[in-house]
Amino acid sequence: MTPSAAVSAPLSADDQARVDKFLAETTLFLGPDPEIMRDHGMQARTAEEERLLSSGLDAYELDRVRKRIVAGLDEAFEMMEQTGAAPGAKWGDLTSAVYTASGDLAHISTGGVLAFASVLHYPVRFINKYWLKEPTVGVHDGDAFIHNDARYGNIHNTDQSMILPVFHDGELIAYVATVVHEGENGAKEPGGMPSSSESAFDDGLRMSPFKCVENNEIRRDLLTFLQNSTREPKLQYQDMKVKLYAALRIKERVLALVEEVGRDNFIASLRKSLEDVEAEARRRISELPDGTYRVNFFSDSTLRENVLLKYPCAITVSGDRLVIDWRGTAPQFLNRAFNATLGAAKCGPSQALLGFFWPDLPRGISVMNPVEVVTDPGSALDPGFDAPLGQSLQGSFMGFSGPQSLLAKLQYSCPEKHSSVMAPWFNEINTFLYGGLTQHGELVGNVCADLNGMGGGARAYRDGEASMAPFFAAMADIGEQELIEDEVPLMQLVSKKIKRDNQAFGKFRGGMGYEMAVSHRGSQLWGYATVSHGSKFPSVMGVMGGYGCCTYPLAKIKGVNVFDYLDDDPSSWDFDFERLMNEQRFTGARYSTHHMGMGYELADEGEVYLISQGSGGGYGDVLERDPELVMADLEADYISPATAREIYFLAFDEETLAVDAEATEAARAAEREARKLRGVPYADFVARWNTPEPPEHLPYYGSWGDDNAVIHATAWSTQGPARVKGPMAEIPPIYLPDPKDLAIAVLQARVAELEGSA
Amino acid sequence: MKRISVDIGGTFTDCFCVWGDDYVQAKALTTHHNLAQGFNEALDQACSTLAVQRADVLAQVDSVRYATTLGTNALIERKGPQVGAIVSAGFEATIPLSRGRGYGEGLDEVAKNDLSGAIRPDPLVPQRLIRSVRERVDYGGTTLLELDEDDVRRVLRELVDAGAEALVVCLINAVENPAHELRVQEIFLEEYPAHQLGAIPMLLSHQLSGRKGEYVRSTSTIVDAFLHATMYHALSELEQNLRDNGYTQPMLVIHNSGGMAQLNSTDALQTIHSGPVAGIQASEHLAEEAGLGSVIATDMGGTSFDIGLVAAGGVKHYDFLPTIERWLVSVPMIHLVTLGAGGGSIAKYDRLHQSVAIGPESAGSDPGPAGYDRGGMAPTVTDADLLLGYLDPEQYAGGRIPLNVKRAEFAIDEAFMDHIDLEPVDVAKLIKAEADEQMANGIAKELRTRGYLPEEFTMLAYGGNGPLHCCGIAGHLGIGRVLAPPYSSVFSALGAGNMPQLHIHERSVPVILYDATSRALFDRFDGFNEIVAALETKGRADLERQGMAADAVRHRLELDMRYGNQLVTTAVVAKDTRLREVSDVLDLIELFADDFGRRFGSGSESPEAGIRITTIRVASYVEGETVEFDASLPAGEPEPATPVGERSCSFPGLDGAVATPVYDETALAPGLVVAGPGVVTTPTTTYLVEPGWRLQTGAHGAIWFLKTEGEPS
Repeated sequence: MTPSAAVSAPLSADDQARVDKFLAETTLFLGPDPEIMRDHGMQARTAEEERLLSSGLDAYELDRVRKRIVAGLDEAFEMMEQTGAAPGAKWGDLTSAVYTASGDLAHISTGGVLAFASVLHYPVRFINKYWLKEPTVGVHDGDAFIHNDARYGNIHNTDQSMILPVFHDGELIAYVATVVHEGENGAKEPGGMPSSSESAFDDGLRMSPFKCVENNEIRRDLLTFLQNSTREPKLQYQDMKVKLYAALRIKERVLALVEEVGRDNFIASLRKSLEDVEAEARRRISELPDGTYRVNFFSDSTLRENVLLKYPCAITVSGDRLVIDWRGTAPQFLNRAFNATLGAAKCGPSQALLGFFWPDLPRGISVMNPVEVVTDPGSALDPGFDAPLGQSLQGSFMGFSGPQSLLAKLQYSCPEKHSSVMAPWFNEINTFLYGGLTQHGELVGNVCADLNGMGGGARAYRDGEASMAPFFAAMADIGEQELIEDEVPLMQLVSKKIKRDNQAFGKFRGGMGYEMAVSHRGSQLWGYATVSHGSKFPSVMGVMGGYGCCTYPLAKIKGVNVFDYLDDDPSSWDFDFERLMNEQRFTGARYSTHHMGMGYELADEGEVYLISQGSGGGYGDVLERDPELVMADLEADYISPATAREIYFLAFDEETLAVDAEATEAARAAEREARKLRGVPYADFVARWNTPEPPEHLPYYGSWGDDNAVIHATAWSTQGPARVKGPMAEIPPIYLPDPKDLAIAVLQARVAELEGSA
Repeated sequence: MKRISVDIGGTFTDCFCVWGDDYVQAKALTTHHNLAQGFNEALDQACSTLAVQRADVLAQVDSVRYATTLGTNALIERKGPQVGAIVSAGFEATIPLSRGRGYGEGLDEVAKNDLSGAIRPDPLVPQRLIRSVRERVDYGGTTLLELDEDDVRRVLRELVDAGAEALVVCLINAVENPAHELRVQEIFLEEYPAHQLGAIPMLLSHQLSGRKGEYVRSTSTIVDAFLHATMYHALSELEQNLRDNGYTQPMLVIHNSGGMAQLNSTDALQTIHSGPVAGIQASEHLAEEAGLGSVIATDMGGTSFDIGLVAAGGVKHYDFLPTIERWLVSVPMIHLVTLGAGGGSIAKYDRLHQSVAIGPESAGSDPGPAGYDRGGMAPTVTDADLLLGYLDPEQYAGGRIPLNVKRAEFAIDEAFMDHIDLEPVDVAKLIKAEADEQMANGIAKELRTRGYLPEEFTMLAYGGNGPLHCCGIAGHLGIGRVLAPPYSSVFSALGAGNMPQLHIHERSVPVILYDATSRALFDRFDGFNEIVAALETKGRADLERQGMAADAVRHRLELDMRYGNQLVTTAVVAKDTRLREVSDVLDLIELFADDFGRRFGSGSESPEAGIRITTIRVASYVEGETVEFDASLPAGEPEPATPVGERSCSFPGLDGAVATPVYDETALAPGLVVAGPGVVTTPTTTYLVEPGWRLQTGAHGAIWFLKTEGEPS
């Protein structure tokens, strides 16, 4: 017999107290706390903060304190960027932060990954709630806590943070933290972002916040354990030190500042900064036109197989509040890696607001205070704690693109603009993760900085910038190939070449992406992984009539050592993705294309893998594009003559690139007329195109049409796939079979068939 | 010693002339159409002071040295030839993509963070003038794909046909193996010989920079090619002018590496920022001569605030990847930071924090501060200074710019009064304090990130607004000694007079001093020493070509070291220029650890992760005679200077206005003291002695600001 789940009669106060005490003393383990993890807002004022902010402190003085705190964070940021061993540290994927004693993140460094602003407070709140008064742990001066498990906060498990309490005269007055995208974390695949993760246990290190530093010294026993748990013990060691010393530097600055301006001014400044940003965010929201704005984004992959996942987003503006509704999103997959924790998903709107809508606002948690986020628990953007998260960026990125797209439309209608109206930024990390032995004999696992090569969205007044920055980190760096080759055997044979016609067309086109062909030389053991979607269905759309981006496959040339060909038959090699794949000049080589979710696979020396970076969305009608801009793209070989003619409807001389203005105008006028002829009344369109359910053959997940209350999903059982639908809570757990098992089954069936026929 | 040194700036040509025991400074407007005219005018002023003819001076001086911002201006104005680039196939977009982040290089933090408004600068080489050739060399210099010479001939023809007026060749890993770059040049000379009319210069990347990093090496080569003709013609004109006037010695050009060389041994890229670098050099020389210890050199003008760091003990701080205008380049340049803060910085109300914000926008000199009465409506730091009573409306800039106090007050009133319940003069105090603190924060960050404590430094303040704000800035930093140096209005020219003839050669190397995997220390000393010897040979040849005796050449060996895979490298100056035994290796490791620990915190060193040398650099130089001067205060009790009037001034932190004595330049005579508060107005600048400070004059006209209250020992 088991205890009844039924609601029993209320207990007396004494009994309730005894039950509570018993339950508190018999806690099995302190897993992620939903009370903490579902609360993205800042805490209410403490009594002390209330007292200080009511005492008439000088706003100018508090602002001075704010600037000094940020200066200290920037100093620590620079330290980490310079001394960090992880590739992520070198390209700016890191931050430094200061919190109130309650765990509200007040400021992060000016540079680095902006998305951290909304997600670093969770582990600090966990420390406050569970370790502060825990006799076996405690929080003392000289302590530091390490953390990487995204279920307790932060973006994903490849980010590791070092959190330090700051005491003044024995009083806990703040926390400071440093965070670096470390890459390798002992996950199923090297590099820290395993696309083939099938359970939370494949995600690598899962460090809930724990004390790893006492008396400002890293505990060697714990360090050794962590080094044993990853593929790069040197990296683990170096960067724990780097983060610790940078955090100690912030702490030193904070304490010096407190000495100078006084404890009261320091505490009041942190709180006032948070409240100032919230007040300004509310003021700006209240200037937006009230209403509900909707968009649907789709993802075409679980990173292991082709599926269609829906990510609807609706933003409702009402007074000074903004509600983001993600209901109708695809359900979580319990053996696929793309699920994003709710906290990581909320990085999306925070990034859209602070990075693109209000880039002038200071970076902190409170910009999200006026924002409510509504989800279906159990969805890919609000999964349970058992779901794998190895490639949670896939979910988070959708959490960004929906709001960014809608905010652009909102902004268009708002007289006071704080940034440019623009089409969506490209939102996929089209890059290679790598792992293996270097030419220097070291075991490594990490990611190429090309993930920072996302194309920018087109603006209302000009084209987007080609491969420029990831949407989540301004001034990130795509690096220097010569320096990378010094460290690892990976060679980019095609390194930076704008991929022709890889643009989201429009009056202003999206920023284009470059193509890459990589191979390796001089290693006994080497392999690659890729971790994106968007190979079948464009991952971003255009705005105001602009096109979405292209789709981007992974291509492989296997069974060949291309370096032999470079030496023996140089003309067989072409520095061009299309020609390499279309002309197939290497005898006996295997040419193939795939979606961009490639689990880690070993490669032989000289085998070639090809990908390309994506374009940002286009803005406006292609027929309004300035012919001279089209010709400039043609002259630079960014587009083909066919694109100029057939997409932009230009008449021109292919030899001289002279535009025939009259013929162009005629061609465009004709196309406008043709559009009218192709058009149908809306009701006819709906009648022709709408179906009550997704196509039967399509492995589809999420709501269908406008009804976000009903989720459609292709669930697998031992009997195979079956379409189910219903409220999210009624959708059965989604476990997909291993694609290799399916492939084997097909082969076995074929063998049986052949044997039978024999 | 007899010597002329010159700093040709965008507005003024500064001249410093040493004529035996006489030191003379002179200034003339820069004549951009012919730099010689401005130079001659400044030199004639100096000659007039010395009562010597120009030709006599030029015939007798040991050298004429030039620092110039000409190259910087040419970049800003995009005055240069159409440059075409030849790159390795597969790297066609390396230059335009500019490591992604190129959109933000050279911009302020706000602009860097605004991705929606980000725009890359107009390229110096447009995509249509970039061509690739089939070839590939790996990281160790092994050729994987031979250079396709037909491809080379084709792209050369295309680039010439497309109108390229200069060519750069930037091939991958050319630093390790330059054979392909050299072959491209050979083919170019075969096809387009140098004697042919309209010959096009071709620059090879490995000859510009010995460092790895294909993008930064490319931009370095491109910037050099872009500036080459402009710089060569302008400086040749200057050289010819010197010849015409009786000068027979080689003309010397200041380099941003902290040295100088003859014109024919100078790359255009090396002249960028040579003026400010000469100012830092002057600071270093002054610090040594006057025993100042560590010095932070600051130059506050109308639109910018330059910071240079001179640490005691000869520690050199370089930027190996400096940003020049909007371009990240690879050239070892003396560390220099420029903040967008100056007298013209615009003050505005910060609604978010109910406070005052300064810059980054600037009113510049046109229209300039509101008080200039030239149409500027936004309040600036200079307007606040005016309203606070520091500036004399009648005598500003020697009376050339009359100031309108009411206009300044009106501008502040308009910008702030709807938001802040304070009188304009109280807002002006906030503006002054905020501007000072912003600059102090910039200095503090510079020093602290390098492991120094600001309070241990002497601050040097030059530039038009330096003496006006130095007490305020120093106060925020806890610095108690500020020196407005001798000849501060021509300070960079003075620095040019002290530069050694110096050449730097460097090479990227994969030297593992300590291998963390095998736990072995470096022992391949012969190979290491061969590289050093080769770099020394290059430097010696450079100097011998310029007439230096081979035995006068000295070498300094600097090694860029790092732990494991860290990005930061620390330049360690080796005690000896050769490695002979394991103890030499351990010495280097200790030197490196000392510097790293000081900078990032004792205990932060990570030798367990391995120790590498990434670059070997040899500075070859010939020590020359330097200008002697000292800044020490005269012995004995100073006499109070006599004020010429009194003004009502206001100061941050003090309620109400303070009756403040006003002095003219006679107060700057040696042996006098001005107790704060006080204002000294001269035709070139205003010295503000804030309450709690005093001003005293030392030798050679050095002006000291010394904190009176809580004065450091």
